[in-house]
Amino acid sequence: MKRNNIFFKVFNEESILIQWDDQVNLKLIDTIISYKKLIEQELLEVLIECVQSINSMMVIYDPNKINSEDLINTLQKLNSSDVKVAKSEKKIWKIPVCYDLSFGIDLEDMSTLNSISIDEIIKIHSLTTYSVLSMGFLPGFLYLGVNDKKLYCERKGKPELNIKSGSIGIARDQTGIYPQDSPGGWRIIGRSPISFFNVNDKSPCFAKPGDKIKFQSISFSEFNRIEKRKNSYKIKYEVV
Amino acid sequence: MIKVLKEGLFSTIQDSGRFGYKNIGVPVSGPMDQTSAKLANLILGNDESAAVLEMTLLGPTLEFLNDTYISITGADMNPMVNKKKVLLNETLLIKKGDILYLANSSNGMRTYLGIRGGLNSEKILGSKSFYKGITKREKLIKNDQIEFDLSISSPKKINRNFNDIKINRNSKIKVFKGPEFDCLEPKSQDIIFDNEFTIGVNNRMAYNLVEIIENKIASIVSSPLMPGTIQLTPSGRVIILCRDCQTTGGYPRILQLDKNSLDCLSQKVTGEKINFYLNKSL
Repeated sequence: MKRNNIFFKVFNEESILIQWDDQVNLKLIDTIISYKKLIEQELLEVLIECVQSINSMMVIYDPNKINSEDLINTLQKLNSSDVKVAKSEKKIWKIPVCYDLSFGIDLEDMSTLNSISIDEIIKIHSLTTYSVLSMGFLPGFLYLGVNDKKLYCERKGKPELNIKSGSIGIARDQTGIYPQDSPGGWRIIGRSPISFFNVNDKSPCFAKPGDKIKFQSISFSEFNRIEKRKNSYKIKYEVV
Repeated sequence: MIKVLKEGLFSTIQDSGRFGYKNIGVPVSGPMDQTSAKLANLILGNDESAAVLEMTLLGPTLEFLNDTYISITGADMNPMVNKKKVLLNETLLIKKGDILYLANSSNGMRTYLGIRGGLNSEKILGSKSFYKGITKREKLIKNDQIEFDLSISSPKKINRNFNDIKINRNSKIKVFKGPEFDCLEPKSQDIIFDNEFTIGVNNRMAYNLVEIIENKIASIVSSPLMPGTIQLTPSGRVIILCRDCQTTGGYPRILQLDKNSLDCLSQKVTGEKINFYLNKSL
């Protein structure tokens, strides 16, 4: 890990923001993942939680146990240390998606905006292997990268009031999965019949940052078939 | 047990919050005005993180089906037990069948009801705090029944008088510079500290301000947020995030409220004025 492109900023009375001055890339995601693990391993006593993002991380701590200056010093030392963390297994998850126009409500607009056929959008999207970059916005909302350039599309000017759970959307170079009904501005290209977030599970979300996702195009009838047994549906995966 | 006879405007159960799940997009939640919520527990000798009821603007009417002790803190909703006025910031003995009436708040936004031993409701992901999509309930509704500890031990004796504690009604909101503050044009930076702002639409997720601040900063890569983060949208809208806020976002984070100011903000109602002061000591 290079030391010259990382910044530590006191964010408030109980958190430090770590910012990487780097282009967003998949290698950086891996760097952040292993640094986060190291912090969780070494600073257990003072840590409340670490929130990882695409090129930054928030370290939330107990100010009764350490002050910000000492914590930043420790974080800097950890960043340049040689302590190794165990690499966790990465998975490629197979997510069934129905790209029917009744679900992909923005497919037609996107086709016009990007001068590309709907069939081409679906083909490119389901052939791309995505990486889980981050989670946030909603419980279990997945930020996935990166879209093929031909699918690059800005968010809608006016957000939709009710995007249905399971909807797959596109914003700029990212794809997102809506785990629950929600307002949202991403351009919706399809819907998955499975459930993505279960509060009763020990790990409520199936994937974690660093995992991969592949979308598999399914028919409308297949969608209905899977949806009927969505609560017992096991998401298929391969170990990388 | 407490039975909800009238639900009021918006009441939720809140303990100290849901920790360890921000990384999968689950907000911390917890009381909006943490000072008042902690006081409600302190008065009763409870653990300061015990679950309390947070009530907004117009309180509920509640029937107690068992004896207990309660405390009421925060905004004054003119509380009455069986039509008899009761005091804020006091230990109140409640008998089976008593009815607690909470009306419109006269001096703030949120009132807290503490119960000896804390409220008992389902714990999801380590917390009882209500949150849409996580707990079954988003808010209390009529006929809900809430359980509490029935081993009625009297509150621990606390040799302190809390009666003169008032909620923080200061209009001064202290802020630290956010990560993207320095990207603002000097003119916009000055506007923030030289002007008065008006509270607009607000809820547990965020307080919007009415005034617009010109914004030429491009959106940022989706980045972590905290309660108290002030975001500036491309159209110049100012959004102060609160306890139920999303965990990450792509709008520039121009300022960050300090802890006390976030509690103070939580008692502001639509139309109230605030001023920002730069807090340099961090």
